[in-house]
Order: sequence, then structure tokens, then C-alpha cells
Amino acid sequence: MDGFSYYNIFETKGMEYLIIIAFLALLIPFSIILNRKVIIKRQFSKALGVLTSSILKIPQGVFYCKNHTWAHLSKSGIANLGLDDLLLHFTGNVRLNYMKTPGDSIIKGEVMTELYHDGKMLKIYSPISGRVEETNLLLTEDPGKLNEDPYGTGWLYKIKPNNWKGETNSYYLAESATEWSKKELQRFRDFLAVTMPKYDPDTTIFALQDGGELRDNLLSELPGEVWNDFQQEFMNP
Amino acid sequence: MSINRRGFFKVLGLTGAALVIGREMKAAPGGNGDIDFRGVLYDSARCKGCRGCEYDCAEANGLPLPGPAKDIPPIRHTSETKRTVVNEYKTSKGTVFIKMQCMHCSEPACASACLTQAMHKTKAGPVIWRGEKCMGCRYCMISCPFDIPKFEYHSSNPKIQKCDMCYNRLKTGEIPACVANCPNDALFYGTRRQLIKEARKRIVENPKLYVDYLYGEHEAGGTCWMYLSPVPFKELGMKEIQKASYPALTKGFLYSVPSIFVLFPALLLGIHQATKKDNQTPEE
Amino acid sequence: MSENNPIAIDNDGKPIWKFLWSELKPKGKIFTPFNIISVPIILLGLTLIVIRFWKGLGSVTNLTQEVPWGLWIGFDVVTGVAFAGGAYVLTFMVYILNMKKYKSIVRVTVLNGFLAYVFYAGALLLDLGRPWNVINPIIGNNFGVNSVLFLVAWHFLLYMIAQLIEFSPAIAEWLGAKRIHKLLSGMTIAAVIFGITLSTLHQSGLGALYLMAKEKIHPLWYSEFIPIMFFVSSIFAGLSMVIFEGSISHNVFQKQISEKDHKARTGIILGLSKICAGTMFAYFFLQVLVFIHNRHWDLLNTPMGYWYLLEMFGFVLLPMMLFYFSYRRNNIMLVRVAAILTILGIILNRLNVTVIGFRWDAAIHYIPSWMEVVVTLTVLFTEIWIFRWVINRMPVLRDSPSWASKH
Repeated sequence: MDGFSYYNIFETKGMEYLIIIAFLALLIPFSIILNRKVIIKRQFSKALGVLTSSILKIPQGVFYCKNHTWAHLSKSGIANLGLDDLLLHFTGNVRLNYMKTPGDSIIKGEVMTELYHDGKMLKIYSPISGRVEETNLLLTEDPGKLNEDPYGTGWLYKIKPNNWKGETNSYYLAESATEWSKKELQRFRDFLAVTMPKYDPDTTIFALQDGGELRDNLLSELPGEVWNDFQQEFMNP
Repeated sequence: MSINRRGFFKVLGLTGAALVIGREMKAAPGGNGDIDFRGVLYDSARCKGCRGCEYDCAEANGLPLPGPAKDIPPIRHTSETKRTVVNEYKTSKGTVFIKMQCMHCSEPACASACLTQAMHKTKAGPVIWRGEKCMGCRYCMISCPFDIPKFEYHSSNPKIQKCDMCYNRLKTGEIPACVANCPNDALFYGTRRQLIKEARKRIVENPKLYVDYLYGEHEAGGTCWMYLSPVPFKELGMKEIQKASYPALTKGFLYSVPSIFVLFPALLLGIHQATKKDNQTPEE
Repeated sequence: MSENNPIAIDNDGKPIWKFLWSELKPKGKIFTPFNIISVPIILLGLTLIVIRFWKGLGSVTNLTQEVPWGLWIGFDVVTGVAFAGGAYVLTFMVYILNMKKYKSIVRVTVLNGFLAYVFYAGALLLDLGRPWNVINPIIGNNFGVNSVLFLVAWHFLLYMIAQLIEFSPAIAEWLGAKRIHKLLSGMTIAAVIFGITLSTLHQSGLGALYLMAKEKIHPLWYSEFIPIMFFVSSIFAGLSMVIFEGSISHNVFQKQISEKDHKARTGIILGLSKICAGTMFAYFFLQVLVFIHNRHWDLLNTPMGYWYLLEMFGFVLLPMMLFYFSYRRNNIMLVRVAAILTILGIILNRLNVTVIGFRWDAAIHYIPSWMEVVVTLTVLFTEIWIFRWVINRMPVLRDSPSWASKH
């Protein structure tokens, strides 16, 4: 410094350049991780659309169970079982995995089928007990029929019931079914309002709460974690 | 999760590498030295203009010898064939001679400018040119305030020519060629501290003989080749040079480079994501 | 088999080597005015380059020991790089600020920038005394980290790579390489951010090169703020060059440009002129500030002083006002005039700092030799040849193939 021996004012320049290289290399993974959670939020935002009770099919004469399955006793004494329209509007197109084959007996509350969409899964429980007479082979060829005509050609099982009157006593029928569907729609909105903040704390969900419309097939676009929550909180209680 | 682990190991590896390299760099030339600079004191009052130093320099460095004295013009510049010249000036105190060559600055502009470190300030003091590194960009010539480095424009393998204080001789314990054979003791080789002491002594002992100024003590942040003169240095063609070092002029710029390298990418990335988000948020 | 080799499929289904060979053949007329003028100059320039390497720099240039950097550095490198600044400004506007309006001219500007840097770095190699040692600062023999030139050299290298990455999707589209195209498009934003940072630093770095030559540059042009001046002026220098060169290629290659792009052009040029006007306004006041800071009032009344005033008022203030008025009146012709004036102003400014104002007091004034001018023209013309070759073959001015826009 006093000019009598060697002193380099740029001594640390080399080290500084190395640190800059390290910084730039780290900046890329840093910003990728920072933005990861945003992906789930975007999926929620994209999912805002229109799903109102007015587009649901709710035929009369069919018993609706709380777990969104229906049962209809035909004159021959065989009951048709299926999934209700509201659930299918939530999930969109799904693949089915029948848990029972003709000749099996099934108890009310047992898993009768699994719905699959893109690796995400929902368990569906049987509304009645009895003996499985038939499974709907048409659905394995043409799964789209399930969503098109859930109460008609989209039936899942034909069952000879053990205790039809006792088990269907608490189920919804006709107008009460329509009322119940509306309530379920609202309960779904509430479910979303509770679930979304878990994945993105600063999300704005006011649009849902004050009557914003839900889009069709909303669940199909949400990730597997939300399906698990849907199973636990919405379907099972 | 895997990116986190990868990032962590990356930091670990880089830190380790940086520490190793950093330790090496500290050991290599770049840290503060504890060797005193060597330099030369030239006393213009004692110089009789025999130009013996020019002959010795040319001989020691394989350059063409200067011609007969009558053919030499009184004032010349150093060139790619003359590493040192002795100029003759008619001044208020009669004829005064002055020897011009590289000043071997303590903080040389040329060494700071050289991007391959071909111009190199040795720990011992002399500033040398290392041809195996030089790419001939001539940036040292732009930066040198004394205009010392000279380029061989007419060679296909051009060198930079300048005084290197006979560095090769110094390494074997000898003194520079010009100092060794000066008949009038006008050149004095020693550490910079010794030179300054000696110069002050001469000024105090002969106040009428010398101008009370040691040229090179502070010029360009201090040089290792210093001058005593009987007349003001302006009369001898010695330029008025700033007292601060020349590399300090680029300090402002070079010090701000890392900051920009860190701030700009972060800022640009942020703006990019801010403007991108605006386009994608749906109307609510 | 074609799935394994990412560049197996090209536009015409021919194997890759046949395709490249067919692309080398000339398209279009052989005897255009430009060809007739440029070919002899290029041939002469190549001869001069051989002489330069055989007999040394002094045989071709007028460089002296007092003025070691002349036309090749002062014009080719310093001024040329200022004009290539359009690339970083435009990529900043399109990719960072998301101004979609300018998207159609980004590719051609990046191509221009890339070619400019390649050729001016090439011109630099011509100027080096010992070019075989140019590898030294790259491999570490030694890293002169205390040097501004080290920084500038490395930035040139890295910036060329960044620009190549930015431009490579066009090359991938030309070769029909779909998977590589996807990969390269993903890297664009990183290359853009890196490129803008590098550009800022080396545009100002070119100015910082002259910081140590404090007494050698005329005081009216020397200040500690040269780096900032160079950086700010590179913004409007680049944009003016985009306007100027855009007008030319718009006419020459108009068959390639789609209807939509034709109509968008006016809006683009007016937008650029607005930006230029604003930047030049700030730059002018920056110059005033620095002038007052340096307190060289008395120097204004000298020949160099008049030259300085001419540069400031005639070539900064005047084009700024022309840009301003042409934007307000929607007058494209006036924009072009302003752009040409600005370009001349930038050339003047850079030459004033590097050549005219450098050792203005030297005994022998440096004036470039005709041979230096010819070599400079050779570099310029060769660059234009390559530019024309690329435009005629790759989707730069015309639209990308449909599969590319999906990425």
C-alpha cells in the first residue's frame, strides 16, 4: 500500500468471478423450486367453470345413497346399481374396476368399484346388500356410456337384494333427491374452499364462495392429493 | 425433493472448489508481498550524457547498437529497437541529460491492463513482458501513462520492447546492465526505501544542485525508477502525471461488475415472471 | 431409425448431408449491384489480410507507437458492437417486458447481433499482433482478472454463445429437428437473461477500456462516466440500426414477409422511434451533467470544442427531436432520416473517443490507410453475405413451420 512491496487491488477478482458462476448456476434450480407450488394454484384457477344443479339428471323413482350411488328395483326383483350424475360430473370420464363378479355376495358399505382417472382413484361403496347377478360388460367396451347415461345403460351391477326395504329406507327419493343434490353441490364448494388453501395459502377463493360457477369435470384436472381428500372428507362421512 | 438435494451438493462442491482454488490463489502472486521492491535512482546532475548505458542495454538485450554520437539527435523516444534513450536538453542551468526508460511503477497500468498477465509486475519490483503469453493486443500501450511499451509493427512475430530492469541478470544476483557500467555513478540500484533515503540525502547535502523533488516517489502511485534533477522536470520533457495509481481508475468499473452480475439476472427473472403472470391470471 | 437421430428428418426428407450441400448453392440472381461491388473488395481484402500476417501490422495499417489502436478497433470492434446492441434491447422488450408487438423482428435482430459479434471478434483477431496466443486468456494462461479487456473478451465469447442459443430454434426449424427445437426453445429465457446482463457489462466495458488513458483522450470526451455513456448510447444505437437495416431487408426480402408482418411494421418502427427519442433525451442530459462535472468550459471555444458541440447538437439533439416529431406525426420517412443521423452520430462519438480524440495532440496524427478501410469493408460485406444466405434459407423473416409454434 505504501508502494514498497507488492500489493494488488484486484486480488479477489478471480474468486468473485467463481462465486458469480456459482450464483448463476444455483439461480436456475432456485427459481424452479420457488415456482413449483404455483402449478397447483393454476390448476384450481383453470378449473373454474359451470356446474349447476340444473344440468344434473335426477330421474324420479330411483333411490339415492349418500355416497352418490343409486339403486332401482325393477319389477323382476333385480336391483340396478350405479353412480349418480353429480359424482360423474365431478370426476369426468373414468375407468372402472369392478371389485365383484357375478355370483359374489356384497354387503352394504363394501367397496363395489374403484374409479380411475389418470392414476387417481376413488373407492365407491355399495348402497345395498345382496347377490351380484351381472356386471355391465358394455361399460368395459364403452366407458363413455357411464357419463352419458348413468341411470340407464350406464348401470354398474345387477343385484338380487337381501333387504331392500330396510336398507333403502334412509335414502333419498324424487324431490328430496333434487334438494339433496343442490346441497351436495354447495358442500363440494365448501370442500374446495377448505382444500385449496392447503396447497396454496394465499389463494383467492371468493369466486367460489359467492356463487361462482363450478366447471364440469373439475376433479379430473386436480392432482391425486385432492382426490384423497375428496375420498376422506367428502365421500366417506 | 431431488432438486433440493442436487442443489445442496452443488453448493457444497462449489464451495469446496472455491476454497481450494482460493487457497492456491493466496499462495500465488496476488497477495501482499513481503519482499521490498527493487528500483533504480537516476541522478540527472551526475549524468554526463556519454550514452554508455544505451550501449550496454542494447548489448545485453540483443538490440542494434546506437550509431556514432554525431548522428544521434538530442531528443528521441524509446522505440522497438531502443529500450532506453538519453536525451539532451538546453535548460536554464545549461545542458542537462535525462535517461528515459520504463518507470517500473508500483501499481503498473500495463500489468493491470494485460488480459493474459503477459505484462507482469514481479514481486521483486521490475515489470517484465512474458512473450509466451502475449497476444499482441497492445492494450498495455493504450494504458501506459508514460507511453513506454513499444510494438514491433513490421514483424510477423511481433514482440513488445521495453526495459525490464535486466530481470534475468537480477535473478542471478547481478545488477542491471546500465547501472553496472555508468562511469559517473548516475545510476544507483537498491530497494525503493534505500533509493528514497539516498535521494533525500543528496537533496539535503546539495540543496543548490538539485530541485527539491523526487520524481517517481508518488507519480502514478509511485514508481521504482526515480529521478533527481537540477532543473524542474518539465524542462526535461518529463510529463506531469497524476499521483494516484492508474489501475485505480478502472476500480470503479471492475468493482461493480460482480454486483451487476448478481442483481441483473435476479431482477430480470423477477420482471419476466411478473409480466408472465399478468397474462395468465384469468378474469375473476 | 429416424427417432434415434434427432436431425435425421429435414425439410425435404433428404439425408442431412445432401440437404446441407443443396443449401450451399446460390439462390437468386448472381449479378446484383451489391454482388458486383462487394466481391472485388472482398477479394482485395483477403489479399491484404494475407500480407498483414506475412509482413506484420505496420505494412497494412498506419498505426504508430503513440496510437496503437486505429480503425479496426475503433470502428470495427467498438462501433460495430454498439450497433449490435439492438439484440439485447429487443430481447429485453419481448421476453422480459412481454411486449408482444415486437416479436416479429426479434429473430432477425438476434441474427444480426450474432453475426455482428462473430465478425467483429474476427476483425479483432486480425488486429492482434500474436493471434495464436488468443487462446491464453481463455484457457487460463493466465487469467488477467484485473483487466477490463479480459472481461470484455470473455463477455464477447459468452454472449456469442447466448445469442447462438437464442437463434438456434430457427436453425432447428430449418433442419426440421423437432426434439432439439423443443429443448432449445426452453433455454431461450435463460439465454436472454444471461445475454442482457452480459451486454450491459461489455457495452459499458468497451468504454471502460479507455479509463486508464486519462491524459491521452481529449478532455471533452474523457470522463469517469465513459462506461455509462457507452451503455446508454448503445441502446439507441442498436435500435436505430434495427430501423435502418430493417428498412433495407424489408424491401429486399419482401416476398418472405407475411401480410400480417407487413402491416405491423409501421407500428413497430414508430414504437422504436419513441423509445429512441426517450433514451436520447436522457443521454443528452447525461452528457450535459458530465460536461458540467468536468468543468471544461474554456475548451468549447477551440476546434475540438466546436467538433464536440457538433456531435452533441447535430447528432444527438437533432435526431432526438426528429424521432420525437416523427412519432407524433406518424411519419416513417422522418424516422428513417433520424435513424441515419443517429447512426452517424454514434460512429462519430465512438471514433472521437477511440481515434480522433485519442492523442489528438500527437506529433503524427493517425489517419487510417486505405488498406485498413478495405479490410473493414471486407469484414462488413462478408457479414452481409452470410446474413443474406441465412435469411434466404432459414425461417427468420418468414413464419416458422406450424410444428414449431406449438413449443
